Amino acid sequence: MKKRGSAYILMTVPALLLFFAFHTFPTLQGIFYSFTNWKGYGDFDFVGLKNYINVFKDDRVVDSYLFTFKFAIISTLLVNLFSMLIALGLNANIRFKNTLRAVYFLPNILSGLIVAFIFNYIFANFLPEMAEKFGINSLATNILGNPDLAWVGIVIVAVWQAVAFNTILYLAGLQTIPSELYEASSLDGAGKWKTFWHVTFPLIAPFFTINMVLAMKGFLMVFDQIVAMTGGGPGQSTESISFLIYKGGFEGGEFAYQSANAVVYFVIIVAISVVQIRFLQRREVDL
Amino acid sequence: MNKKMKVFSGAILASLTAASLAACSGGDSGKTELEFFSTKGENNKTYQKLISEFEKKNPKIDVKLVQPPDAGTVMKTRLTKNDIPDVMAIGGDSLYGELARAGVLKDVKGSDLIKDVQPSYLDMTAKLVGVEKNGVYGVPYAANANAVIYNKDKFKELGVEVPKTWDEFIAIAEEAKAHGETGFYFTLKDAWTGMVSWNSLGAALQGEDFAEKRSKGKASFTKNYDEAADKFQTLLKYGHKDNFGKTYNDGNTAFAQGKSVMYLQGVWAIPEIVKANPDINLGIFPMPVTNNPEENKLVSGVDVMLAIDEESDHQKEAEKFIQFLLEKENVQTYVDEQSAFSAIKDVYQEDPKLEGIKENFEKGTITSFPDHYYPQGMNAANILQEFLIGKKTNKEEFLKKMDKEWDKVEERK
Amino acid sequence: MKKKTNWLLTLLLIAGSVLVLFPLYMAVMIAVKDPQQLAESLLALPDKWHFENFTNAMEMTNFWNAFSNSAVITVFTVIFTLLTNSLVAYAIARNMHKKFYKFLYYYFVSAMFIPFPIIMLPIVKEMTALGLTNLYGLIFLYIVYGLSFNIFVYVGYIRSIPKELEEAAIMDGASTWGVFWKVIFPLLMPINATVGILTVLWAWNDFMLPLIILSDQDIATLPLVQYVFQGQFSTDYNLAFASYLMALTPIVIVYLFAQKWVISGVTKGAIK
Repeated sequence: MKKRGSAYILMTVPALLLFFAFHTFPTLQGIFYSFTNWKGYGDFDFVGLKNYINVFKDDRVVDSYLFTFKFAIISTLLVNLFSMLIALGLNANIRFKNTLRAVYFLPNILSGLIVAFIFNYIFANFLPEMAEKFGINSLATNILGNPDLAWVGIVIVAVWQAVAFNTILYLAGLQTIPSELYEASSLDGAGKWKTFWHVTFPLIAPFFTINMVLAMKGFLMVFDQIVAMTGGGPGQSTESISFLIYKGGFEGGEFAYQSANAVVYFVIIVAISVVQIRFLQRREVDL
Repeated sequence: MNKKMKVFSGAILASLTAASLAACSGGDSGKTELEFFSTKGENNKTYQKLISEFEKKNPKIDVKLVQPPDAGTVMKTRLTKNDIPDVMAIGGDSLYGELARAGVLKDVKGSDLIKDVQPSYLDMTAKLVGVEKNGVYGVPYAANANAVIYNKDKFKELGVEVPKTWDEFIAIAEEAKAHGETGFYFTLKDAWTGMVSWNSLGAALQGEDFAEKRSKGKASFTKNYDEAADKFQTLLKYGHKDNFGKTYNDGNTAFAQGKSVMYLQGVWAIPEIVKANPDINLGIFPMPVTNNPEENKLVSGVDVMLAIDEESDHQKEAEKFIQFLLEKENVQTYVDEQSAFSAIKDVYQEDPKLEGIKENFEKGTITSFPDHYYPQGMNAANILQEFLIGKKTNKEEFLKKMDKEWDKVEERK
Repeated sequence: MKKKTNWLLTLLLIAGSVLVLFPLYMAVMIAVKDPQQLAESLLALPDKWHFENFTNAMEMTNFWNAFSNSAVITVFTVIFTLLTNSLVAYAIARNMHKKFYKFLYYYFVSAMFIPFPIIMLPIVKEMTALGLTNLYGLIFLYIVYGLSFNIFVYVGYIRSIPKELEEAAIMDGASTWGVFWKVIFPLLMPINATVGILTVLWAWNDFMLPLIILSDQDIATLPLVQYVFQGQFSTDYNLAFASYLMALTPIVIVYLFAQKWVISGVTKGAIK
């Protein structure tokens, strides 16, 4: 028995050590540097809470949080709305089911960066051209150059790509619902809308939760699309938190300062995660 | 039973060791590989050409050219990694100053490398390093200039001459507008392109020691940049309909295709424009910012400085490569193809396209880029972009924000 | 009983799928034209197909080099992820009643919620210090960082496997290692497919880790190359799009052939 125990230890401890060394340790280091004035090279001194105080005073940081959350919440809602609709459609009695499913899932396998490059062209050239043809002046310019609309462009790209994954999840959820339930419901004379709210939705509610959580988590980290499409602009209107930490931390030579920003971000994510983990645990029970 | 695990972890360890060894050794077959990192991308073809010539003469040395986008950020990442390229071609701006102060660039003071460099450029770049360090950490190679690029044919059509004063300058833009032409092709989706005009305006209106005065509390954006901000807004009136939706690359192509009369850019854009339309008849003049022609100077800086990694294993080869680039005929090739000005004595820019600013170089009516002395990380280009879009900040707020960001960045140090 | 086909819905879904396919169609159209043709019409089929855009882009970006880098990263990451992560998960799943393993489970899984930016700067330092800013280092990081999610997925699956199978093997004198490799690992195939597919998609498409870890252009991955060449593509959209398409093609080809498998694999990972 003891032997078995030691085998299990050998199976897990190397992984534990490596994970600690390459994930937990850098996390701790990040926290450590946030109390210094390190530029990323050379010497440094401890500066106490100065970086944190500055983070809270920094409009640029505050704006990046506002943008990131606005973007993440709206994208999450849109993604779930669209993917729910598409999944309901794909689950109905339609033709070309497999082909359509394959097409709708396609964006999920593509590189986010390259997708963003392609959309960049659409916004810069295709849309203005179309708008001009049809005389829609408000869209005749590149929306990525408009601080009020640039974020919409990023939402479009992110949603276009993320709908794929969430659709498949909803579809999987819908397929777990036995068709007898629908028949029973239609025998009762319930309308389509009623059937959805009273039969379908409660049964796929766990999928809804998971989808919201996964989508939100991904969107809060948005980076590739920003790099490819706006570089944080125009002005600083699309600077996401990840992007600001990368940009400010390296280019601005403010490694320590952005580390403090990262720690604040971390705390916020943890607060959200506590809620998320509780959802995940609830799933555990279902297993 | 632990054997398998041992074999397994052994395998992982072995592959990791192999990996790190491979990372260390690098070289093979006795060839030295020199990494040549350039912060600008326009000169790709020219460098390729010079490099292949160099490699022909020095078959034992392989020069690998690296020109990433957003090179400043990449360079900083490399600095954090302590993974400095063997040879660097960087702009004479605050990045150079920072690298020099970080002590990663080799001091070439007194070496042969700088003996042919025009002293004024050495002075200009020494200022970027500051007083803490007393060395020469890079070889000024090519100089650039901020200017107004104009379409000569369109000037003829409009019947206008190269302007000497601000009023004349705006009158031309007005004339262009009256004829349904675009005065200036703005490319403000790329925030940095706004800094080109900002520097021209600032340098003429505020002089080059603004940063110094600003740090001493004797000047500020709010107090001193009012006129520059106003004038920029005036320029904006003569743009096209998507001033903030077009990029630098778009702008080069658009101007080449005759979509605007003038183009507010640096000389570095000329090779790209000519590439897009080899037949274009273009000229260039310094932006007349005031109505007193005496005050209007050309904003010029060091576009390329060649520097060597202090800890490179290939110092000799690196020096050899720089030595090669500094040979007169190669400098000539570079300045000809890149529409640049030479920082090396006895090499001149003879391109008739650049006639309009040659005099400034000869007479020395030149001033440096004000923003090269701004603190890094204040993100001035984006703040300016925001102001120009005009939705979020008005002039007062913009100037205040510039001051605030400056202080904030200084404060964080 | 076969139900009536809902044609209205079918049509709506086909219309929707056009939105999905349009950007890709546009990308292809740009890639096969020359600038002149592009200026005339963006979406029409070209009168003459300019396939040389692809060969030019290939040469310019050193496509095969980047392709092989991406392929090496993806293949090795997947193989080692499957072999190691499942093993760790097995040990945890079978000992969840013990405090240490329960701790391990939550330790790994909760790390999923640590935002990457906080690690970003220190990991660059660390990898540099270890001389691992290369392909090996990147593969290694993918394997280690994959642990969080994969343990979550594997543990859930392994716990649903009845213990009787293992007990029989143990009676026959198999060691714990033997039990895992001979009994459990083969049973994990469905979930291995899931983990494998998700790992492929991640390692193949990731941009951020290669961006910060790899500094040598010779070892750049396909997405990284598209970024690095932005400046050189300039406004030659035809060349740029040819290059983008080539970067997307390998995974699309895999998807075309293994589409059903990929979709079911991904689904299982998320709902298991």
